[in-house]
Amino acid sequence: MSNVWLVARREIAVRGRTKGFLIGLLVSALLVVALAFIPKLLGGNDSYTVGVVGAGSAGFETAVKPLAEAEQAEVAFRKLPDEAAARAALADGDLDAAVLDGTKLLADGEVSQQLGLFLQSAHRALQTEERLRAAGLDPGKVTEAMRVPPLTEVSVSTVAGDAGVRAGIATLIVLVLFFLLISSVTSVAMGVVEEKGSRIVELLLTSIRPWQLLGGKIIGLGALGLVNLLVVIVAGLGASLVTGLATDLPPGITGIAISAVIWFLLGYAFFSAMAAAFGALVSRQEDVSSVLTPMTTLLMATYLVAFYAVTDPSGSVARTLSLIPPFSSMVMPVRMAVGEVQLWEIALAGGLMIVAVVLVLLAGARIYQRAVLRTGARVRLSDVMR
Amino acid sequence: MLEAQALHKRYGDTEALRGVSLTVRPGEMFGFVGANGAGKTTTMRIVMGVLEADSGELSWQGQPLTYETRRGFGYMPEERGLYQKMKVAEQVDYFGRLHGMSRPAAKSATDELVERLGLTERRDDTVDSLSLGNQQRVQLAVALVHRPTVLILDEPFSGLDPIAVDALAEALAERCAAGVPVIFSSHQLELVDRLCDSVGIISAGRMVAGGPVEEVRAREGRRLLKVVVRDATPGWADGLPGEVSTENGRHVLLAPDGDDQAILRAAVQAGTVEHFGWQQPTLTEIFREAVA
Ligand SMILES: Nc1ncnc2c1ncn2[C@@H]1O[C@H](COP(=O)(O)OP(=O)(O)OP(=O)(O)O)[C@@H](O)[C@H]1O
Ligand SMILES: [Mg+2]
Repeated sequence: MSNVWLVARREIAVRGRTKGFLIGLLVSALLVVALAFIPKLLGGNDSYTVGVVGAGSAGFETAVKPLAEAEQAEVAFRKLPDEAAARAALADGDLDAAVLDGTKLLADGEVSQQLGLFLQSAHRALQTEERLRAAGLDPGKVTEAMRVPPLTEVSVSTVAGDAGVRAGIATLIVLVLFFLLISSVTSVAMGVVEEKGSRIVELLLTSIRPWQLLGGKIIGLGALGLVNLLVVIVAGLGASLVTGLATDLPPGITGIAISAVIWFLLGYAFFSAMAAAFGALVSRQEDVSSVLTPMTTLLMATYLVAFYAVTDPSGSVARTLSLIPPFSSMVMPVRMAVGEVQLWEIALAGGLMIVAVVLVLLAGARIYQRAVLRTGARVRLSDVMR
Repeated sequence: MLEAQALHKRYGDTEALRGVSLTVRPGEMFGFVGANGAGKTTTMRIVMGVLEADSGELSWQGQPLTYETRRGFGYMPEERGLYQKMKVAEQVDYFGRLHGMSRPAAKSATDELVERLGLTERRDDTVDSLSLGNQQRVQLAVALVHRPTVLILDEPFSGLDPIAVDALAEALAERCAAGVPVIFSSHQLELVDRLCDSVGIISAGRMVAGGPVEEVRAREGRRLLKVVVRDATPGWADGLPGEVSTENGRHVLLAPDGDDQAILRAAVQAGTVEHFGWQQPTLTEIFREAVA
């Protein structure tokens, strides 16, 4: 076993200090941070400044306040002397909108959707109240009648939080898992071919067993993939705390992150064993991508069905594939992020995936062991499978 | 004692080994020679367990060779293999650890080897920045780091400059003196002649000659009597065994076994004798004859 750690340590030390790995780490962290900032940049801002001109605009402030609070937005009001001043302030970008005499809404272009909703609702409420009073109804009663409690939101499943945010997180999980899987798994294959091509494997295998060499490589490169995944998660959560996006994150986000990590490890074990076995068939780096085609195709298929599962997480396709290895390695974390998953489904998917991982590891180690010393021409799979 | 008995190996239609046997005693330096494609590499890979023989026995100190015994061996494969992106000392140390050395033991063995193989200045350079000969020194360090019980080196001298050849020869002699059997293959026969206690000559998958160098010489080689005569009367050697040639105006007679005293008398009468003596065959001559 100590040999496995020696090999793993070497992989981590050598691969971990290559430019490729460090750049990958940085880029993936930056991408996730950028994703966390995008909602803020696009939907932007939920604090607004509104100018009010004229007497008819009074009352807006009190009417908007409860609406804004409900949406966790801030709306500040500023009194302006006349329309010209309002126009100037709008043009300068000091104001997001201005209400003119309680009849007109001025904006530089279009008013943001959220703010427009606040102001229009406030306007409607004010006008209704005004007209009811004009019709001679008791002002006290009118005020009383106007105080309508909002609809209480009740989720029919145990799923809490915004469905859109959940779908976004699921998409992110698919992307991150896919890119980390494909890069880690490819470096396993490249490492195998490097050792085979340079014939160093002949020397290595006189001092350690093939399974130790293979196991150490898979563990070492897997540890680097895991580090990358953790960096992505920490960067993502950190950035969403900074941008305030965290308040929109559904409860149970920690559980979602943990399950993504576990499924990454299972998926990695599965695909890396395949990659090592296929890689051991060739001796030249140029042949790696062609010999890996069956594995990459399977990984791509997993990726695509996982994407599909984001759009229809409770459909029968997603439910079925979330149980079947290796598709489960990406579809299940998606389903867990998007919606409700029964405990037995998770247990079954996990159990089947573990069985599949063990089988693939055994087969992979066997192929590797038989093929890795056969240098020269590409070894046929049928020659080493017997 | 390392022994191989009747090794057979075929690759498809080529019979690479057809019953190769060899014995190397502790402290013996064994030179393995043979033409290209004769089967040296195949034999050594089988001994190291990198390749499986179709049939034949291998033993070390009377016990069949196992994976664990082989882990104690030091090996230099014909196709050199190192991690190109790893630093010299780091790499030697890593192989020491893989062979089961403790961290401090691997470190001190690495320091010593790096120093003795003249790699001190390059110890923190990556292997791919070294010249071929220096890479070969690293390869040798990797084979030696764990103080192997047996050394199997496939053409360790090829590509080395004379200084490096001496350093390597010295390192091997030192291991040998410590009781380690050393097998190396080489095409440099003078080197084998100079360094080895015993040789094995392989030809087309068969051992055609082998044993202690002096025995092989006595058994396989024909010694020749060489006589050099200045101002010799033409035709003086007619009737004597051997052949006469002319070199720098001198007659040179090379005779196989015969009455050396009769030849000497004839030579003295024919002119001035500059040289008279028995010549030992060189390993090259023995080799040529054995594989012919
Ligand atoms: N992988 C292989 N596949 C098929 N034939 C092989 C293979 N390896 C070696 N041979 C054949 O086995 C025979 C012995 O080869 P080997 O490499 O042992 O020779 P060698 O004595 O080491 O030669 P050299 O001095 O050129 O290194 C040769 O005929 C060679 O063509
Ligand atoms: Mg050879």
